[in-house]
Amino acid sequence: MFATALGPHLFWIASRAAGTAALLLSSATVCAGLLIGARTLAGRRAELRAAHEALSLAALAAIAVHGLTLLGDGFLHPSLADVSVPFVSGYETLWTSAGIVAFWALLVLGLSYYARTRIGVARWRRLHRLAALAWLLGLAHSLGEGTDAGQTWFLAMVALAVVPALALLAARALDSLARGQRSARPRAQAPPTPAGAAR
Amino acid sequence: MSESRRPPAMDAKALARARREALRARTRAIRRRVAALAVGLFALTFLIVSAQLASGHDPALLAAARRRSTSTETTRHSAAAQGTTTSTGSETESGSTGSSDSEASGVETSASGGSGEGGSPGEASSSSAVTTSQS
Repeated sequence: MFATALGPHLFWIASRAAGTAALLLSSATVCAGLLIGARTLAGRRAELRAAHEALSLAALAAIAVHGLTLLGDGFLHPSLADVSVPFVSGYETLWTSAGIVAFWALLVLGLSYYARTRIGVARWRRLHRLAALAWLLGLAHSLGEGTDAGQTWFLAMVALAVVPALALLAARALDSLARGQRSARPRAQAPPTPAGAAR
Repeated sequence: MSESRRPPAMDAKALARARREALRARTRAIRRRVAALAVGLFALTFLIVSAQLASGHDPALLAAARRRSTSTETTRHSAAAQGTTTSTGSETESGSTGSSDSEASGVETSASGGSGEGGSPGEASSSSAVTTSQS
């Protein structure tokens, strides 16, 4: 009876569930990624890296399920282009596009890990920082368009995963800002070295 | 004494191999745990959304039902303003009551109309629900 009643909505429910799972998993991915660089957990780097990799792959799979199950929805009937190309879908175009852009960005920035030696590790690291922006875009998509965005259970679940990630992101940003200022100050205050003193 | 300070080369290699193996085992365990977490999260959310929908508290369907009752009210008011028959007014009144009933049983309403996120999906279900309640 329960299954019969839910039958017509199966794809829709699956898409919503996968979207929520993707948001939680991607938030956990951001947390693990930011903790890799934390000094306090230096002894746990290998485990954190493994967790970060596994979580990011799981998040990408969940996002793929979120988009693909929507293709089977009996009401919206979106095409593959609607769920994979930004600004094609007529439904909540801005938020839908934000989600699609976030997915492609996460996919490219996440999978680029396997080509980091070709890209160059330092360049890849700089690029990989953009993944946090893609995650924020995904967060905006789920809060702006998500059917359950106003629900208490959803907000509680999201807060549990998103707030720590946001706090870690803010801490990292402040840390790199302070480090940038520290490295700029000695250069500005250093007395001019006499010519030939270095020799 | 000297043995404890400097282990033989074979032991060092074996130790390194054991450490590598241990790390690999931990990595496999982490992957398994993450996969279980992902499936668990999906299942939990699926259950919550399903229960919400079955109990008639689905946010999209509730919003659609609210919009429907508002539009029915508007229709009733405009019909009354145009001076149409009184019986039409009473019929639509029962229609609005019917829409609140359908709020309580969101699944039935949506099953006749369809699904979707946000507003537009509910509109399809709204028209069918009004027809049902009026008939």
